[in-house]
This record gives sequence, structure tokens and C-alpha cells, in this order.
Amino acid sequence: MDFELTPEEKAFQKEVREFLDKECDENVIAETESMLGEGPYSKELIRKMGARNMLAPRWPEEYGGRGMGFMAETIKVHELTYHRGPFPLDAVEIGNTLLICGTEEQKNKYLPGIARGEIEFALGYTEPNAGSDVASVQLRAVDNGDELILNGQKIYNTEAHFSDYHWLLTRTDPSAEKKHRGLTMLMVDLKSPGITIRPLVTSAGMRTNEVFYEDVHVPKANMVGEKNGGWAVIMSALYGGMGGGSSGASRYHFEMLVKYLLEEKPEIVADNPWIPDALADIDIKLHLIDVMGFRASSMSDLGLSTPYDGPVSHIFGNESRRDFCNVVMQILGPYGQLAEDSKWAPLKGVFLRQYMDSPRWTIVHGSSEIQRLVIATRGLGLPRK
Amino acid sequence: MDVRLSEEQEILRKAARDFLTDKCPKTLVREMEQDDKGYSPQLWQEIADLGWMGLAFPEKYGGGDMSFLDLAILLEEMGRVCFPGPFFSTVILGGLPILDAGSDEQKQKYLPEIISGKAIFTLALTEASGKYDAASVKARANADGDGYVINGTKLFVPDANVADYLLCAARTDDKARAEDGITVFIVDARSPGISHTVLKTIARDKQCEVVFNGVKVPKENILGELNQGWSEMQKILERATIAKCCESVGGMQAVLDMTVPYVKERVQFGVPIGVFQAIQHHCVNMLVYVESARVIAYETAWKLSGGRPYSKEAAMAKAWVSDAYQRVVALGTQSHGGVSIMEDHDMPLYYRRAKAAELVFGDARFHRKTVARNLGFEVA
Repeated sequence: MDFELTPEEKAFQKEVREFLDKECDENVIAETESMLGEGPYSKELIRKMGARNMLAPRWPEEYGGRGMGFMAETIKVHELTYHRGPFPLDAVEIGNTLLICGTEEQKNKYLPGIARGEIEFALGYTEPNAGSDVASVQLRAVDNGDELILNGQKIYNTEAHFSDYHWLLTRTDPSAEKKHRGLTMLMVDLKSPGITIRPLVTSAGMRTNEVFYEDVHVPKANMVGEKNGGWAVIMSALYGGMGGGSSGASRYHFEMLVKYLLEEKPEIVADNPWIPDALADIDIKLHLIDVMGFRASSMSDLGLSTPYDGPVSHIFGNESRRDFCNVVMQILGPYGQLAEDSKWAPLKGVFLRQYMDSPRWTIVHGSSEIQRLVIATRGLGLPRK
Repeated sequence: MDVRLSEEQEILRKAARDFLTDKCPKTLVREMEQDDKGYSPQLWQEIADLGWMGLAFPEKYGGGDMSFLDLAILLEEMGRVCFPGPFFSTVILGGLPILDAGSDEQKQKYLPEIISGKAIFTLALTEASGKYDAASVKARANADGDGYVINGTKLFVPDANVADYLLCAARTDDKARAEDGITVFIVDARSPGISHTVLKTIARDKQCEVVFNGVKVPKENILGELNQGWSEMQKILERATIAKCCESVGGMQAVLDMTVPYVKERVQFGVPIGVFQAIQHHCVNMLVYVESARVIAYETAWKLSGGRPYSKEAAMAKAWVSDAYQRVVALGTQSHGGVSIMEDHDMPLYYRRAKAAELVFGDARFHRKTVARNLGFEVA
């Protein structure tokens, strides 16, 4: 039993950390904190990481990776989010699936570009009537010889407005007896005629999108996996192992808060004796997020992950980080509610933004309830009916 | 990072599980709750013969030369079956402190006795305050000729009813800071002037009140340095804290392993109750607590084992595991329903032990204070 990173992983961690210390500057952080999506500084940073083979460390070297494991991926995510760099990088997530399900031609066409930070992908699963029940997607793809013609709508596709391609789950067989058997995965050039992207904004001010498809023509060469085999493509990610969660930005914000309370506002703690206990609890949870996350990644690298290691790590992480935001608001008292442009706002209002954004964390990418369903049925073997 | 058990550790775990499944059924656990001694001398000798007492001690004393991490595996298995008896007291609270701080003569004398199963040890630290701090040590040890005379009352001393020796923390200098005037003595439990009363406790373990009334102890029985006993006591407590976490993880796992099959079988409204999302979420939440508790308990045991700093981590682990075990037994009980609050059900065995494990060596709030101090906050 060894909880230490390998020398190779430590070296990678050091390299990424030192790189981001220098390159993830205030311009990049401002873009991240604006929650409007990747701007020019973020894209530049991603390309610089790509040039150093840092973006997709798990991929084989021939595609621009380093041939490392899930652990390296988790290290990258932790460092990137701790430094408040652009995240998530959906293109890399999608590339992970392409590695398993893509043709040689597709892998050669997309993976090196993703690894260099030159190709951005946006996830395109959710629709107004297909949220947690993702197999209910209705965006229709009709066979038309060498191509498919698409009509329908996606929603909450957060990366769509700054991406090159859409990773799109479509319905190719509306009469399939089981709805998940009539789905097909496509990669769509977002510049294709007939695509309209409209902004949606969360209560935290985060930009996301609804995307409309009207007679959009997509070559069949852009199909990933089999026609009507889209569900297998989605599920492949679950069976290939999974990286664990990371405290990332929350650890950074925690350190920032502790420093603020100790150095600038000791009277807050003096007046509220419950605060050290609450902060100790958060410290423990953030530590646990990282150990559980690393553990889940390590088990995946060893080929021993259970169906619940990853989801357990993620629900624990997301719920704990959400709790942290709530505690911080209580610690800051009435000042916690002040917007960033108020001269009275503590720490430039960063915690108000985090608090407003935090409900999203337990909803996106599989809500906590869906993750619990997966753990209960696939992990613990509880009956479905 | 590779958090798998080694092949040797897997063998140890399997051997321990098989042995305990066979030799420590719940009937024995219940019987020992009612028993005056609280343990089976025959089973005690069997585990000594298996090398369990000596597992983490050097070969030269008759030990197995394995590590604290290996011992952690054994403790988890013991927690799983609610193993009754003075193993924890003897090995964690008695033997390892002697290995750590004892003189060569003390190690030669006591460790082989512990390892062979001949001697039962325990720790007499806490007093009327029920706290684990230096200021709470009021028992006095006054110099007297070639030795010391101890007077005072210790509370919550585990297994004192069967102990052959007690490590007793007593004040030897009143004028110094609370932390600087404490000495730890190895006391023969049969010395004149020692008396004990078994306390009736939630886990029906054998915690005792121990009265020291003019108990004479030769000075060669000082463990470590005169007046410097508190630093050793902190190490003892930190080590015990980690060990208790590992034991608790076993109990938590047992509760989960009891609950999941039950909800698959128990039929209400015409279906197994495990179909219901409310029950599924209870089970998943239990799993999250078990997994998080295990990873932090073993991470800390690994640190201790490898000579890495572990004080802060021990506090983090105990704070987390104490609360997590409470939640697991609560959710397990809720998932089972009425059957599991019956006295003859196994759940109350764990429900009672979870609370005892929380209260010993400092509860979650106590340990979060240590974590907060590490963050830089002044906490009373």
C-alpha cells in the first residue's frame, strides 16, 4: 500500500504546477471568473499546455499525450482548477471516448488537434426533454445517403459558443423498441449551415447555450461507433475506468479564506467561536476529496476500478464543495451577499459567485441522484424493479 | 499511488477473516458482554499462537516483524466482528508504547509476555474530567525512597479488570506546566492499593474505575523520562486514535454488508425495498461514508507505518470516522426498520460500539480543534 505519487507523476505535477504558476495569469483567471467561456487568454493558455503535451497526458504519445494514467489526468485537473484556469476541457473528455470508439481515421483527424489545444468540442447531450433521462433525446438525424440531416434542439451545451465541434447525441431510430437503441453519436462542425446558438445565463452569470438544428447536413464519416449504437459510445466511458474528483479551486479558495480570516479579519473568528470547527470540517472534506479522487484514479490505472469508485468520489466532492460555499457565506455574514463591484465586498466577491454557481455542481454531468442510482444498481447490485 | 494490499496483507486479511468468522460469532460477542472477564482466555491464547499480539513487534522479542499497517488490517477485521477482549488495550495501549519508549530491560521483560499472550496491558490515563489533555491528569506520584507512590482515581480504563499491568500517567511535578510534570509508570496490576470497579457502558466493554491508594512503583518502572511523559502520551493517543479508526472501518463495513443483502430480500408493497430510491440513497450514502473513512484511516496508518508525520492526519481521520460511523449505523438501522432495533439483532451491537468508538480518544469536535489549530486558529 502506497499513497505516494510515483516519481513520474510527481515530476508531472511539478511541471504542470510551475507552468501554471507562471502562465495562468490574471487575464486567464478573469476569463474563468467571468464564467462567459474561454476567451483569447484561456485559449492561448490551452495551446501552450498543448505544446507541452500537458492537456491529455493519458493519451498515447502518437496523439500528443504522454502515455500516462488517470492519475496524471487528475493531477492536471487539480492543478488547472487550483490555478483557476479554463475548465472543464470537454474536448479532452470527448477524445477519451474517441480513443475507445473512434475509427483510426477519426483518431488521427481529431486527437492530435485536441491534444495541441487547437480543437474545441462541446458536449451535446441534454435537450429540453432529455436531462437525467439522456436516452430520451429527440434531435432527429435522418439517413440521406452519405450524410444525415439533423433537426431539433439541444440545451445547456455550455461550450458550444466557443467550440469547433459538437459531440452530438441524436435519434436515428424513433421506432426502436427500447429508446436507447435508436441513438447515434455524431461529431458536427459547429459552423455548418442551419445551426443557431442562443445564449442562456445561469443565476450565477454563467453563459451556457441552447443550440438549434435546422436541416443540418452531416457526413456519415462523422458518426462515432455504429448507427443506432450511440448508447454504447456513452457507456464506454463508464467501463474504461474513471478519474476521481479533486478539490482544485475549492482548495485555493479555502486557503484564501483562511488567510483573510487570520490576517485581515481576526475579529470575525473572535466573535464566532463556531468558525474554526466549521473550517476544520471543510479542511478534512477537501483533503478527503483529493485522497478519494487519487485513489479512484489509481484503481482505474490498475484496471481495478469498481463501478462506484469514480461516482463516489464525484458526489462526495461536489456535495462537499457546495457545503463549503454555504459555510463561507455564513462566516462572512451580511458581507457575503455583496456583489463584486461593491467597495464593501470581501475578497472581491469571489465567494458570492462561488455560492451562486455551487448548485450547478451537483446537477451537471450526472446529477448526484443519477450518480447514486448508478452506484446503487451497478455498484451495490440493488434491484431496479 | 497503489492502495492495494500486498499479497502478504491479503493473506493476513483472509486468514483473519476466516478465523474470526469461525471463532468469533455474535453469540460469543453477546456472551462476552455478560461475562465478568469480557474475553475468552482460550480464544486469547489462540490468537497469541497465531502471532496476532506480536504482529507488529520485532522478531527479537518473538514478534512477527510486520508493520502498523499490517496491524491496521487485523484491527479492521476485529472491528468487523466486534471482537471482544483486551487486544486493543494490550497491543495498542500497552505494547507499542513500551516498544516506542521503553528501556531495553523493559522491552526484554514485557514484550515477550505480551506477544506470547501471557500478559494483558492497559492504559490508565483519563480521570474525572473525562478529557484527554495534560491538565486533567491529577493523580499524584510522589518520590519515596527508590520508587514512587501513586494516589488517585482513573476512569474509563479499558480492561483493567483483567489487566496484569497498567501504564499509568501520574503527576510528578506540580509546579511545572501541565504538560511538563507528568510521568508514565508501568504498574503491576496486582500491587497492593489498586482496586477496580467495572463500569456499565453502552458497548458493554469492560471500562473500569481504577483507584490507586498508596501504590508503590519502583523507579525502574518509569516509561521514558521522568516528567516528560506527556509527549509519549500524545504519541500513544495519536496511535490509538488511528487504530480506533481502522477498527471502526471494519464495523462500518459490517453494517453495510448486513444492510445491502437485507434490502434486496425484504419485500414491502410487493417489491424488495432496495427498489425504492430512498433506500438506495441510504445505501449509497453508507458506502460513501465507508469508503471515505477507509481511505483516510489507511492513509494515516500508512503515514505512521512509514515514519511520515501524521499528527494532523490522525486528528482528521478520527474527526471524520467518528461521525461517519454514527451515520452508517443510523442509515443501516433506518434501512432495516423495526427489526434492527430489537435487542437480539446484530445492528445494536454496532450501534452501541459506534458511539463508544466516537467517545474514546476524543470525539469529532475535539479533533477538529486540532485541525483548526493546524490551520493557524487559536482554539481553546
